[in-house]
Amino acid sequence: MSAAPLTRTRLIGLLALLLVLALALLTASLCLGSTAYRPWQLWQNTPDALLARDVVLQLRLPRSLAALAVGGLLAVAGLAQQILLRNPLAEPYVLGTSGGASVGALTALLLSGGTALVSLSAGLGALLSTLLVFGLARHDHSSQQARLLLTGIAVTSFTGALSSLLLAIAPEGLLRGMVFWMLGDLSGADWHLPLFSLVLLAVLLWPFARELNLLSHGQQAAHALGGRTRLLQWLLYFSSAAATAVAVTTAGMIGFIGLIVPHALRLLLGQDVRLLLPAAALGGGCLLLAADLVGRTLIAPQQLPVGVVTALAGVPVFLWLLQQRGVRR
Amino acid sequence: MVSRLVCALLAAALMAPAMAAVSVKDDKGRTVTLAQPAQRIISLAPHLTENLFAIGAGSRIVGATSFSDYPAEARRLPQVGSYNSFDLEQIRALKPDLIVAWPSGNPARQLAQLEKLGIPLFYDDPQRLADIPGVLERLGVLAGLDAQARSAAQGLRERAATLARQHAGKKPVRVFYQVWDRPLMTINGEQVITDAMRLCGAVNVFASLPARAPTIDEEAVLAANPELIATSGDSTAKNSWLTRWERFPRMAAVANKQLYMLPPDLLSRMGPRLVDGAEALCAAVEKARQ
Repeated sequence: MSAAPLTRTRLIGLLALLLVLALALLTASLCLGSTAYRPWQLWQNTPDALLARDVVLQLRLPRSLAALAVGGLLAVAGLAQQILLRNPLAEPYVLGTSGGASVGALTALLLSGGTALVSLSAGLGALLSTLLVFGLARHDHSSQQARLLLTGIAVTSFTGALSSLLLAIAPEGLLRGMVFWMLGDLSGADWHLPLFSLVLLAVLLWPFARELNLLSHGQQAAHALGGRTRLLQWLLYFSSAAATAVAVTTAGMIGFIGLIVPHALRLLLGQDVRLLLPAAALGGGCLLLAADLVGRTLIAPQQLPVGVVTALAGVPVFLWLLQQRGVRR
Repeated sequence: MVSRLVCALLAAALMAPAMAAVSVKDDKGRTVTLAQPAQRIISLAPHLTENLFAIGAGSRIVGATSFSDYPAEARRLPQVGSYNSFDLEQIRALKPDLIVAWPSGNPARQLAQLEKLGIPLFYDDPQRLADIPGVLERLGVLAGLDAQARSAAQGLRERAATLARQHAGKKPVRVFYQVWDRPLMTINGEQVITDAMRLCGAVNVFASLPARAPTIDEEAVLAANPELIATSGDSTAKNSWLTRWERFPRMAAVANKQLYMLPPDLLSRMGPRLVDGAEALCAAVEKARQ
């Protein structure tokens, strides 16, 4: 399947399939929750109709949209960093981008900053850690770019320590809200910003899909691009940092989506960025939406943090996928 | 007549706060014995500091953990760290003859180390509002301030009984108590705030959940349709904690404008001011009832 060349029919067919999956999950997410209200009650003439309306339209719908958008952002950010580094291990969590955003958000929270300040500060943190990682490892021309990845891992450890430090000095009253950022959670998440960002990112990157294909085949191949390589690399830096920052401010630190989704899609769909980019945007959203659905219904009305669910369910599936691929070879 | 007088004098001599040994059982069932009433006490939780001040032992405290901010004099006490991580070296250096500890909040490993150092520890672990007067009385024995402690304890018991009497037989009010905003957290039936609710005929809508401080979702709150939503705090940032519910004007609590910000710390500390917290909560419940 992965060997098949990318035709227009295949592209549209596969994306339509993913879109159907996303819509199916969205429907499920609107129908299920900790209470027994269902969307079709909206049109019934019962006293419960108004309550069902609040539950479905004001609570489940915004949260589901936020899950779709944040998952998509994380997967696209992971894909962008993997293309940039041509290294399968790259993703915002591993490279310190999420960590930087988290330190930014925690600092703003510690200073009792409002939502806008928290977002801004998280964005700055993501950008700074990205610049730091790529700045330090700029001259690494080795084919595996091991130095870049190691720098990322070092920066991740550093931001992790900074986050722990901020938590340690935080007063009791702020602590719970801060720990929330470390676990990842979609309750009360805003969907406007992440969804808008995801669409913007997809529109921004899509025209470069062909060139990104060249870039992902190695710097030699990328020389064919001439002076555009630099520009493309910067585009990828910024878009992955911005996507991560928006994802982290919306839902806290959610790991593994950026690693697992692009990989799984590569194993299933092949290497072509023209397909991978929109597929990652949809696939990441599907995975996070499904994880959130499980997290909020499994022991309802009690809630599980979505970051815990993605890691617990996502990692075994990913390991299985890797095994399958090994066997086929 | 004379023998009676001798007896009375003898009894008075024995009761004098001389070098008499004192002994009580703590909440872990251990017997805490001091050769003489405690003179240098360290408190390992803000509510324990409040307990000591309530029985008139405030001047005997030589060290307290952070956030010991009530009464105002408590702010001037030397700090020995926070309740969940304290400075053992400094505690030892302050030469306490009694440490009052809170096993539900203090780390067990550090408490074990304090026990090893040979300093007498009193473990305070009240589960219900009704347990607090008893704690005051036992601390009073250890500090040799029995009479003051007994009257403080009696005062708390009477106020709790008054609340229960005033609200007995009245219509139950469904209450959602919001512990935290994001993630949205509440309390279950084992928690002491639910105990305070029972005093005035309020019912915690999430009493039956298994976790003590469960994270829940908004639709569960909507479905429970509480008649009163309460949280506690004083910062203006927390106002959004309550205003978020105004999006749902059909919820009983919102329709009748029964959203209350209760004074901070009262309901979250297992000390004497818990009764103040219960009174504030019950006043809100009474308004929601009408």
